[in-house]
Amino acid sequence: MMQKYEALLLATPEITGDEAKDLEMQLDKVIKAGAGSTISFERWGKYKLAYDINKSEYGVYYLMRFEAPKRTTLINDMKTYMSVKLNHIIMRDMISCIDPKAPLTYQRPRSLEEAPAREEGFSRDARSGASYFSAADRNELDEE
Amino acid sequence: MTKKIKLKISARLVKKRSRRAGGNRSKMCRFCSEKEQVHSIDYKNATFLKGFLTERGKILPSRISGACARHQRCISQEIRKARVMALLPYSGLAF
Repeated sequence: MMQKYEALLLATPEITGDEAKDLEMQLDKVIKAGAGSTISFERWGKYKLAYDINKSEYGVYYLMRFEAPKRTTLINDMKTYMSVKLNHIIMRDMISCIDPKAPLTYQRPRSLEEAPAREEGFSRDARSGASYFSAADRNELDEE
Repeated sequence: MTKKIKLKISARLVKKRSRRAGGNRSKMCRFCSEKEQVHSIDYKNATFLKGFLTERGKILPSRISGACARHQRCISQEIRKARVMALLPYSGLAF
């Protein structure tokens, strides 16, 4: 039985195109060694992080989707590989299973490249999230 | 005298009831009523999850978010995942 996984990688902002290609190749090799196969490798773009990591305010996200047999050691191998060999490029990583019932499409926040001159406060989109909570409610919670 | 007291109590009760019914919040969990919305609870969808944070970055309780226990658990788990990836803040004002 094959199981679909996805890995969200947070790379340093100084990553070059060549390095990214190299990264993809290396991870692909690891996955193939674990009898899996890569489905996709996408670049999200440059983002401003919610908090500083390794003294950098920005980061580049990559989303990799792959297939691997169930009950495999591949996930652990990948985590070790990233933390040991790709330590200089990858700041954070998260590997999770994809729910087979859920659609493969997903939504992501806008990157800096897509919206260059948009420096906004902590404002909420009217369509997204629980916008119907009043500001008073939030303030009350913060004071608690 | 007794009648007056009763009137007073009923007036208070009416007030209380009006206060309870005052909010336009629905009792149903919106993720239970609209199944498609469940898929938008995802750690990658940070713009959506941002709506479930206070200005300080705390997770809103289910009493305010209106989600049932099951979906509130989903929301808080995904928010915690997004925090690890620096998509959402642990605390403080970000974005």
